[in-house]
Amino acid sequence: MDTNARRRRIHTAVVSTDAGIYNHDLSLYSDFPKNPLGLPEFEELALERLQLLRIIENAALKGHKMYSDDWRNCIKEDLVKNNLKKYVRLMNGANGQGGADFQARRADHLSHYILRLAYCRSEDLRRWFLSREMEWFKIKFMAQTSAGVMQFLNINSLKYMPISNDIKDDIKSELMDSTPGLSHAVLSTIDIYKVPFTDVLPLIKSRRTYLKEGYAFIPMSDLVVCIQSKFRATLSESLNQINHRLSNVDDDRLNDLLCNLHNTYTGKEYIENPNKDAVDIGDLNDYSKKHFPLCMRHLHEVLRANHHLRHSGRLIYGLFLKSIGVLYEQFIEFWRQEFTKIMDNNKFDKDYLYNFNHQFGKVGKMVSYAPYSCIKIIMGNVGPGEAHGCPFKHWDVSYLKTKLNEYGGTQESIQEVINLVTNGHYQIACTKYFECAHGQPPVNSINHPNQYFEESMTLIKGRNKDK
Amino acid sequence: MSAEYIEEQLSYLLPIYYKRLFPSLPFYRWLSYGKSTNFSKREISFTLIGDIYLRFQSFDTHADFVNELCKRFPIKIDIGCVYQTKPRDKNMLTALIPVFKEVVFDIDMTDYDEIRTCCSGADVCNKCWKFMAIASKIIDATLREDFGFKHILWVFSGRRGIHAWVCDESARTLDDNVRSAIVEYMYVIKGGLGTSKKVNLVGNVHHSLKRALSIIDKYFIQSILKDQDILGTQERLDCFLNMVDEEVREIFRGNMRKLETSEQRWHSFEKTFADLQSKGQLSRGGRNMIEEMKLYYAYPRLDVNVSKALNHLLKAPFCVHPKTGKICIPFNVKNVDNFDLNNVPTLNQLMEQIDLYDKKTKEQDNMTMETDESTLNKFKIKDYKKTSLLGPVNIFMEFLRGLESKSEKRKMENADLNF
Repeated sequence: MDTNARRRRIHTAVVSTDAGIYNHDLSLYSDFPKNPLGLPEFEELALERLQLLRIIENAALKGHKMYSDDWRNCIKEDLVKNNLKKYVRLMNGANGQGGADFQARRADHLSHYILRLAYCRSEDLRRWFLSREMEWFKIKFMAQTSAGVMQFLNINSLKYMPISNDIKDDIKSELMDSTPGLSHAVLSTIDIYKVPFTDVLPLIKSRRTYLKEGYAFIPMSDLVVCIQSKFRATLSESLNQINHRLSNVDDDRLNDLLCNLHNTYTGKEYIENPNKDAVDIGDLNDYSKKHFPLCMRHLHEVLRANHHLRHSGRLIYGLFLKSIGVLYEQFIEFWRQEFTKIMDNNKFDKDYLYNFNHQFGKVGKMVSYAPYSCIKIIMGNVGPGEAHGCPFKHWDVSYLKTKLNEYGGTQESIQEVINLVTNGHYQIACTKYFECAHGQPPVNSINHPNQYFEESMTLIKGRNKDK
Repeated sequence: MSAEYIEEQLSYLLPIYYKRLFPSLPFYRWLSYGKSTNFSKREISFTLIGDIYLRFQSFDTHADFVNELCKRFPIKIDIGCVYQTKPRDKNMLTALIPVFKEVVFDIDMTDYDEIRTCCSGADVCNKCWKFMAIASKIIDATLREDFGFKHILWVFSGRRGIHAWVCDESARTLDDNVRSAIVEYMYVIKGGLGTSKKVNLVGNVHHSLKRALSIIDKYFIQSILKDQDILGTQERLDCFLNMVDEEVREIFRGNMRKLETSEQRWHSFEKTFADLQSKGQLSRGGRNMIEEMKLYYAYPRLDVNVSKALNHLLKAPFCVHPKTGKICIPFNVKNVDNFDLNNVPTLNQLMEQIDLYDKKTKEQDNMTMETDESTLNKFKIKDYKKTSLLGPVNIFMEFLRGLESKSEKRKMENADLNF
């Protein structure tokens, strides 16, 4: 489905009874849309929001740090380019009261509900949709002044009571130690709120708040985390409910649209081996040098050297191998050969075989799992003794340099890669690495290890043909 | 105690253990949390001799549970979560829906292999056991003070690790997202084979890490510097210095290399750090170098995946470790410094202790010719009280009393509401 095609603009006046819910740029979308909506507009709104969410996702993939000014500007530019100025309007925090403002909020509201219908259908879709919606909410929230936030809290009956100055004084030093950016001077001028820790999980995860007996003590600027988590919980529940009831939507026109919409989002999952040629495990050493991205080459080499990988490494490398076309029997044989260099067959069968069968969907849930994408690898944790992870993200720069040298990169190209890494452009660095290794860039920038492999194979095959 | 443990004896010792020593009633009371359906809908899996793994077992009553234990004498019992329906009735058509499970933590000594110098792999001695002492104290304090949990059971895992079971009702019902967040809060040492500096503290040191550091400080010189000798060889010193910012690394190397012992080298590190700092020669990122080093060498290294998911199974307390014969005994964190690996009872020792006790009593009875009444009383003594399992069972009972006093209170509150 080509969402970029020129579309006929459809304008519907905001029905007067709706106006009451469209007073503020920020919305938790708690009111269910009640007015009839024509099919053409339904479709247009759906596609526009899909574009909005993709633009948000792509801004991060382009290497901009999330919620930075660059990132916001990149999103704004792309929105303007795609004729979606109305969403830019919601990003400026002005809460304007003109006709165009109401139109924009109405589109925001309705399109959100339409995508709920499309994105409730599987766990993966729900997760993707939830993440993007949270980001979109935060984008709008960050532009708000504190008066705007207060107004929003009032409209939605969200009540947060600040703690007393006495209590604040008692925990002053803990607050300053544990809240990044909170100085003595700032602390005396702002209110601190006490909230259950389950409301601010992102702050807990990254240890960015003072936590005492199950309660987090946060400044107003962190209230967005609370509101997001409430929003996320209600949205997540609503998606589950819609999913259970969706079979009742008995309209083929709608069904077609909604199903197609969700098929257009993810890009390739690489579950099935696409190039149909089976990969022989005897060739893996050679392939790992010529066609593997750095992360997989590293896993391969660590496995060959230690005859073992920790759980996450086994999973990530295993799924990768499966999807480049290693067949089941060879797959098991490959792991067995390595592991049994440091253990007997018995131990391998007992402790590891199930794990590998599971990856192939031969036992347990019987699902053939999709290999990890770059984002999943980049966002994942890597602990001591583990070899997985994105080399451009997780390795020390000095270690990366040593490895690139060892693999025969030129000083100039290595420096280019390192520059990208230090600026946080991990996937672009990987794309650059591809270019250095192959003498030409890949067709698309790298976003999946299996894509790297495919592009590399296609390229080499093409060259061999040319000869 | 001389009795040596031999794996082959499991098949006839285990049935006796489950019949006479395994504290099945407190165990049942624990997992019931005041309601019998909590137990009957709990997944309890067995591993039988020959590594036969039976998942999705569940037991309606205490009697059923004991009968199965004695009949099948598992070498390992795993506890899963409580489902909406009995896991035993699981079939292809119905999915099991998880309802609750304790928040659990698993710390395994193998995750310390890159820093411990006394043993490696499956081996463990009282020197490296100190890592576990530090870990349990830090995690326990974090769970209680930061998260407000109160009912935490600590268990020795039978060979080289420890487990924690957080049993507060508010903890048991947490979803996977919250569990992940709690673990990541305690996930400080990050990075794999390509990363040398695995602890990075930016800005002020978070209050939970300050508390951790105050715990580590009590052990650092003796257990980390002296016993583990982390700076004692050229190789270890290099590894240490690789974590130091490149710009100042050689200054540290120069000063530290002149000295011999780990302790001297560490003090030189602290002194050089203070010098450089007073001269303003440290970058912003280098400000917390001392704290980062201490955390790297002593902060708990969790197996995070065990804690993140509601439906992850974990070995039950009072299992017998099939390789060592040691009992997975609960321990008290306050007394963890007195925990001696060599004093953990093994299956054979317990059997001997019962025999010894019974023999002695019999002798005494014969000597004093006691009245029939008191002889009867003697026979009523529970078997575990005759053995070194008494202490651990008492710790378990104390934990249980704390748990039940609270649930009792809630029951009364509910009754008031009904009234």
